[in-house]
Amino acid sequence: MAGFRLVGQRDTPSVAERLAGQHVLLTGVTGFVGEALLHLMLTEVPDVRVSVLVRPKGSTSGAARTAKLLEKPVFADVVAAAGGVEALIDARVAVVEGDLADVPALPADIDAVVHCAGDVSFDPPVDEGFTTNVIGVRDLLDRIDEAQAASGREIHYVHISTAYVAGRRRGSIPEAPVEHDVDLETELAWGLGQRRAVEDQSRGADLLTKERKKAEKEHSRAGLLTAARATEAARRQWVKDELVRIGTERARSLGWTDCYTFTKAMGERVVERWAAGSTPGAAGPRRASIVRPSIIESALERPHVGWIEGFKMAEPLILAYGRGELPEFPAAPDTIVDIVPVDHVVSAIVAVLAHPPEPGDVGYFHVSSGDRNPLTFNMLYSSVRTYFDHHPFTAGDRGAARLPEWRFPGARSVERLLSTSEKAWKVADYVVGHAPRSDRARELARKLHQQGRRLEFLRRYLDLYMEYATAELRFSDKQTMALFTSLSEEDRATFAFDTSVVDWPRYFIEVHCPAVTAPVRRLDELRALRKKPSGTSLREVGSGGEGIAAFFDMDGTLLSSNVIETYLWVRLRELDGGERLAELGRIASKVPSLVQAERRSRSDFLRGVYREYEGARAADLDAVADEHLTDHILSRLSPDAVRRIREHRAAGHQTVLITGAIRPLTRPLRPLFDHIEAADLAVDERGVCTGFLASSPLVGESRAAWMRSYAAEHHIDMKASFAYADSHSDLPLLEAVGNPVAVRPDVPLYRHARRSHWDVADWASPSGSVRALDPGVRT
Amino acid sequence: MSRPGFVLEVDDRTPPMVVHEGLGFRLESFPLGTRVVYPPESIPAVPDVDEAIQHALLNPLDSEPLPALLKAGMRLTIAFDDLSIPLPTMKAPDIRGRIIEAVLTMAAEAGVDDVKLIAANALHRRMTAAELKHIVGERVFRSFYPQGDLYNFDAEDRDELAHLGTTEKGEDIEISKRAAESDLLVYVNVNLVAMDGGHKSVGIGLASYKSLRHHHNAKTMVHSRSFMDHKHSEMHHSAWRMGRIIKDTVKVFQVETTLNNDVFPSPFGFLQKREWEWSVKDQASMLGVRRGLAVAPPKLRHKMFHDLRSVYGLTGVNAGEVEAVHEKTLEKVHAQHSVEVNGQSDVLVMGVPYLGPYNVNSSMNPVLAACMGLGYYFNSYRGQPVVRKGGAVILYHPLDEGFNQLHHPSYVDFYEEVLAESTDPAVVGEKYEQQFAQDPWYIHLYRTSHAYHGVHPFYMWYWIAHALDHVDEVIWVGGNRKAAARMGFRAATTLQDALEMASGTVGTSPSITYLHNPPHLLADVR
Repeated sequence: MAGFRLVGQRDTPSVAERLAGQHVLLTGVTGFVGEALLHLMLTEVPDVRVSVLVRPKGSTSGAARTAKLLEKPVFADVVAAAGGVEALIDARVAVVEGDLADVPALPADIDAVVHCAGDVSFDPPVDEGFTTNVIGVRDLLDRIDEAQAASGREIHYVHISTAYVAGRRRGSIPEAPVEHDVDLETELAWGLGQRRAVEDQSRGADLLTKERKKAEKEHSRAGLLTAARATEAARRQWVKDELVRIGTERARSLGWTDCYTFTKAMGERVVERWAAGSTPGAAGPRRASIVRPSIIESALERPHVGWIEGFKMAEPLILAYGRGELPEFPAAPDTIVDIVPVDHVVSAIVAVLAHPPEPGDVGYFHVSSGDRNPLTFNMLYSSVRTYFDHHPFTAGDRGAARLPEWRFPGARSVERLLSTSEKAWKVADYVVGHAPRSDRARELARKLHQQGRRLEFLRRYLDLYMEYATAELRFSDKQTMALFTSLSEEDRATFAFDTSVVDWPRYFIEVHCPAVTAPVRRLDELRALRKKPSGTSLREVGSGGEGIAAFFDMDGTLLSSNVIETYLWVRLRELDGGERLAELGRIASKVPSLVQAERRSRSDFLRGVYREYEGARAADLDAVADEHLTDHILSRLSPDAVRRIREHRAAGHQTVLITGAIRPLTRPLRPLFDHIEAADLAVDERGVCTGFLASSPLVGESRAAWMRSYAAEHHIDMKASFAYADSHSDLPLLEAVGNPVAVRPDVPLYRHARRSHWDVADWASPSGSVRALDPGVRT
Repeated sequence: MSRPGFVLEVDDRTPPMVVHEGLGFRLESFPLGTRVVYPPESIPAVPDVDEAIQHALLNPLDSEPLPALLKAGMRLTIAFDDLSIPLPTMKAPDIRGRIIEAVLTMAAEAGVDDVKLIAANALHRRMTAAELKHIVGERVFRSFYPQGDLYNFDAEDRDELAHLGTTEKGEDIEISKRAAESDLLVYVNVNLVAMDGGHKSVGIGLASYKSLRHHHNAKTMVHSRSFMDHKHSEMHHSAWRMGRIIKDTVKVFQVETTLNNDVFPSPFGFLQKREWEWSVKDQASMLGVRRGLAVAPPKLRHKMFHDLRSVYGLTGVNAGEVEAVHEKTLEKVHAQHSVEVNGQSDVLVMGVPYLGPYNVNSSMNPVLAACMGLGYYFNSYRGQPVVRKGGAVILYHPLDEGFNQLHHPSYVDFYEEVLAESTDPAVVGEKYEQQFAQDPWYIHLYRTSHAYHGVHPFYMWYWIAHALDHVDEVIWVGGNRKAAARMGFRAATTLQDALEMASGTVGTSPSITYLHNPPHLLADVR
């Protein structure tokens, strides 16, 4: 096979001829670049046999995933020409099932391998970064060695890296090995060991104590198990964040932007050593090329104009800008954004594939635009703005979004703006979280939730891109251009990768922006069609009630009342004017401590209130409840709640009331429920209340436990059942069923309901009822 | 002698008129030429109430004197009208209590032991102890209530109902068993308006749903023209058929009373005077009340109005045989309420006040407001409706008081579910009446709480069937648009807008009549 020479090859064979009869193995074909590459190989390099290494996903085999890939519209022509997907696979695309974490043996007769697979996330946990970008490469190369040894053929390895392996260097970057003296083995061993270390650290008492206290403060009313679950979730999150943080810090301490570019650079080093033949057991130098694209975006021409799969680097930002949610950007207006269309990248890869270097002499190729056809942030901004000026997002009911005007105030002041907003948000969030329950608080919580998500988005992207946005790098692409000019006229047309031809404003306005906004617009249209009728519509209760139950909380859900209020109603009946005032005063003085107890734990609170019943006669209590509290309860009953309960009954469901209130108070509601689980006051042998409860009040997790035992006893399918409650302490009750509904929730429950996509009902309590605490009836 | 009612024609010297609208009122300038119908001023009250009662009981019409009917060992039941009349509630002592005391005194003298007092509330809500006490008076309450001898009628207590057969038209007669099985049933009524009393007292007040459904339905009500005129009311014909059969089973001694028009005490006294006759003091209190209402929160306004107690004068009390008594009663009622009106007009304007029969100590929800305007006030005529067939009715009420969940639970569901589907009285009755009437939850609330029966909102809707059938357009001035639309009506901000909206039906210069009501009036349309 002819070696690659830089000049004077006008009459050399075309790319297709050079590759004719070869067997090329591709990895990462399910990814963006891999898919484009496969497409190009199948359409423009007819006499090549391709093998693809595809990882089975769940129960889907690699072959099935490949078939699915080939069913995509872009492959329609190739598939039609071959006479169907299966025919195409049989004829040209062999599937090698396998994973880069455990590379399988490769077909023995391969001539070249193109390794496109890799983690594209910029902030992988450090161990994952090393596993994918270093170990994966090393194992693959070992397998190539095996194949080479088996067949005796020389295999050309094309490694797809990234131009940003240059890290935090500045200025012109040559197409050459990255200069550094990092000890690969040490870093690798360190990186792989981090998961273990961090996991161990996360189980330390310090961290766990901190997280547990935080969780208990937030969830104690719901119960300790809920708090424990929250603690464990927080620990897992901490491990994830910590691994990312460690990776980023190590990368920066060595001069890279983040763990991604750092491990990619390490991966290149592995390739270089392999090519030089300096790995153990090497038979001698091998052929290897490294292709380093910069930021890859939608296609200029191939497979079609604007072709893009999934969201890459710039898209979330472009979309956020179009929605008016990206107020500034931390870049200088003249900083270069190095973008290349995906078809240029894959064309370059194929050209490199067709021109293997000499063994031991690694070829480096930057596929980039910044050096010869620079795109500045200002150009990018004004192009995107022009696009959205002409084609605004109009899906909402408020017309086109207002487009922010960027002034490029510099990274520092953008950071300041963001961190000020974040602080303000945290304060607001704390205040709303502690505000008394009201429609206004809930509305504020909803807005804050939305704003919080936006801020989170901004924080994540600005943190990620800050490095790239301020990177003043110029990637020299001399060798790539030399390769390009060495091609024949036809090949230069077929495998175009001269990035200087890109007209950036046109590219953004006519190609890229329409391509990335198209799916969003489609989604918006669908959403507009599906627009729910106004008002809170709960899901239907359905029919066929066998084995379905509906669980209801009482105070706050069915009626607007609370135990202190009902207690006063009961006690004040028995007293005359002066005593009433004294009793009111006494209770008022206890309210702060009761509120404290309520914040801490619902059961402490209930016990505190029920202590006040000490000395009351149980029979009197029943009589008072029947005679006077019926009105009190019924006049506070929400009509929507009653209607819903009756709907459940009509559907044949069992209706169950679960409450921490004492049993006499539930008497008026008996006809609505199949079962009422309420608190019983303990009485002594004379029938006088002791001020204690007969058993622990049913709150928080004990409700969920009770529900499960009730369900088991009555053959209830909890997945199909419903639960209705209003406060964060009822979280376990709601989580126990398949159809939870938050009714006029407090802010913490509201937040949870939003996150979990639960129904939120707004059952208004009757406004006309007399709310006076004094039960004295006027005549 | 008090001045009779009259019809004023608005000219350019006419001051703005008081128009009631829920918990408040406004001063409205009507277009020139509008007829304003004023009720007669209060007719003289009897000089001595107790003497009048004694006289009536001792000299009954077509009956032996009461003492002659009372014997030791007999079973005596005294039934009386519930809190739905009079409106507003009478300042204590209530006339019913005074009569009941007189009856009980005579019964005690005769040695009658077995006495029960039953509030004839039919499907209305159970009254509270305090409300019962207000009607019967402290002494009677104390003597009978604790033992359970004074109680609300329970139309769902199957064991306490007696089926007395059917009328010649096949109508079931089912009333209180205790009343039916008594040796004497004394009924004490307040004949506030012409529709009350007569055979309606026992035949409806003590009847169950099984009996009521025969006349409380859309078909009957469309043909009750009007139900303020029992001789032309299908509903009353049915009640009369039933009453005659009840009379054969149990001896009924009917005591009917009539009241004058002294509805508004101070500081609302100006509300029963004619606007151009307001004194400086009246004007001052009008301004004061208006200011107060403007700044008061809804709850306080509700209290201001609902705490109002009227100092009615008793204009007559008659006792004896039902029909003879009722004839005398109606004479008095007509003397107090009747106003002669010449011919119909294109547009009828009415202000719906804060109070109707079914929201005493409660709230005037949209359904009740519609019933008050299109049921009671619209039907307040003899001869023919004040508005022509195909005309327009303009009502004033904000329709924003909401529902009282304790008193009107089935109304909420009626409004949310039934009216959302149809507002045609015949259609909703056909499709939903049974379901609401037999709903166990509503029955539970009716029996144990203070809720109107599940079927009651349907009756409100039947009440307006005649008006809906008769007029083409109903517009609420100042009404909540959503509530008006739910009930099939429209809302306007001002009278001018309402007339503009009605112009499609009645033209641009319609004849307009405004019923200046309350105090109560009965338009005698010739």
